[in-house]
Amino acid sequence: MNGTIRLARAELRKLFTTKAFPVSFAIAIVLAIGSVLIDAMVAGRNGAARLGTDANVYQMLKFGAITCVVMLILGILAAGSEFRHRTIIPALLATPCRSRVFAVKVAVVAVLGAAVSAVVFGLGLATIVLTLSAHGIHQLPAGSGTLYVGSVISSACFGMIGVALGTLTRNTVGAIIASVAWALFIEQVILRATAPGIEKWLPTNAAIGLTNAPGPDSLSPTVACVVLTGYAIGLLVLASRTTMRRDIA
Amino acid sequence: MSTISFHKLTKRYGPVLAVDDLSFDVPSGRVTGFLGPNGSGKTTALRILLGLAGATSGTATIAGLAYGQLHDPVRRVGAALDSNTFHPGRSAAQHLRIITTAADLPPRRVDEVLDLVGLSDVAGRKVGGFSLGMRQRLSLAGALLGRPRVLVLDEPLNGLDPDGIRWIRGLLRSQAAGGRTVLVSSHLLSEVAQTVDDVVVVSRGRFVAQATLAELTARTSVIRARTPDASRLREVLRAAGIPVRLVDHSTVEARSATADAVGLAAAAAGLPIFELSRHDEDLESLFFDLVQQNHQNQEIAA
Repeated sequence: MNGTIRLARAELRKLFTTKAFPVSFAIAIVLAIGSVLIDAMVAGRNGAARLGTDANVYQMLKFGAITCVVMLILGILAAGSEFRHRTIIPALLATPCRSRVFAVKVAVVAVLGAAVSAVVFGLGLATIVLTLSAHGIHQLPAGSGTLYVGSVISSACFGMIGVALGTLTRNTVGAIIASVAWALFIEQVILRATAPGIEKWLPTNAAIGLTNAPGPDSLSPTVACVVLTGYAIGLLVLASRTTMRRDIA
Repeated sequence: MSTISFHKLTKRYGPVLAVDDLSFDVPSGRVTGFLGPNGSGKTTALRILLGLAGATSGTATIAGLAYGQLHDPVRRVGAALDSNTFHPGRSAAQHLRIITTAADLPPRRVDEVLDLVGLSDVAGRKVGGFSLGMRQRLSLAGALLGRPRVLVLDEPLNGLDPDGIRWIRGLLRSQAAGGRTVLVSSHLLSEVAQTVDDVVVVSRGRFVAQATLAELTARTSVIRARTPDASRLREVLRAAGIPVRLVDHSTVEARSATADAVGLAAAAAGLPIFELSRHDEDLESLFFDLVQQNHQNQEIAA
């Protein structure tokens, strides 16, 4: 157990000693608060819901997806940069058990994802509460807490998916471009048009089921949670069965 | 007692045989040079030894155990395989602190090894701005963190300037003087000749030779004797078991023998000696000859 804690501390040290984590964290906070303020400013205009209505607050709470993207990229960087910069060599010399190194990295990124999401969502929510209070509104929709939990879970899952992708591809830039292209283009444009029935079962739309207000075309939060966790576990098993068993060049 | 042992180690990458039935032992408390031309399988063998690559067959062990089976491996084996295993955005101290954290080493070791390798002044600088020599030193610092009894270094002198080479030689000698076992690979014998006690030569993934440096040096040493009857001196030396060849009617060359032994044998036979001198061949030439001879043997066998 002590060994696992030491490894987890070493993984945290790796994350906190490069610019990627603080920069992504800061970007996530700025985007979350910025999107809330923009949604508040345009509320009631051009067909947008009035400020303080459930529809308006749910629209503002969509920033939960931001930390999913941030954690996906951080997960890819955490795993892929070990191969890119060959720091995997000193890591495995210190801890020859590859499955342990991999499992601890996954756990650390998942916990960090949950923590980052909790903080970012908390700051975003605080911005909403302050904005609404300034307009004399003191009530949030009942589903806000579910979205908070959903954001935390989906960020942790996307962090794990990122680690799996970074390990499988061993190429940080390629993995980031491919995953963003998958989420924004293949899932949202191609599959939405060609296979509307299956699109909601794919990772990005499962995350939408967790971070957005329930809609007729989205999965329920519980099912979305199971689906997203399943994708994360599947990719992690694939990564541990393949890349982590290969020779380190 | 041997600390590091390779036994019938074979590594195949598809049709390419990178390491072919390699067997040799590295004795403890000595510096052993692991020599071979580029692409001769040295790095592959070391990666298998350190658990970074799997063997197709055979074993590579440290104190009888595979690297992955060692308890606290960083405290037992220090390895520097590459001068490019650093995140360029981290400082030298941060890189080492990650290792001390993972390996449960005291944090003060970071400052101690940075001081030892002469990088204290740049401990806080990002590794991305380091020269090759500084990276080699940092790589060695990582290997020394756990005060290991065994050091495995892959081409640590590569790309270093003469100052850096002299520094690493001194460091390796001091490590050996402290009773540590050092296995250091190189593609140039002359590079490590001033540092190693023993030499293992490999070529095309196969074992070629193992000897102490003194034995190897003796093989390169020739005693030339000038006498009025060279043919008779040749017979006398042969009878004494000394390998000898006739150079001309008045000169013979004896191998693997001292000048004293040649002089005494001639005196016992009543042969006058006009001149007795020692000539040393270049060690690198001998290394090249060994490798070439191995290539020819392989081609004949094929």
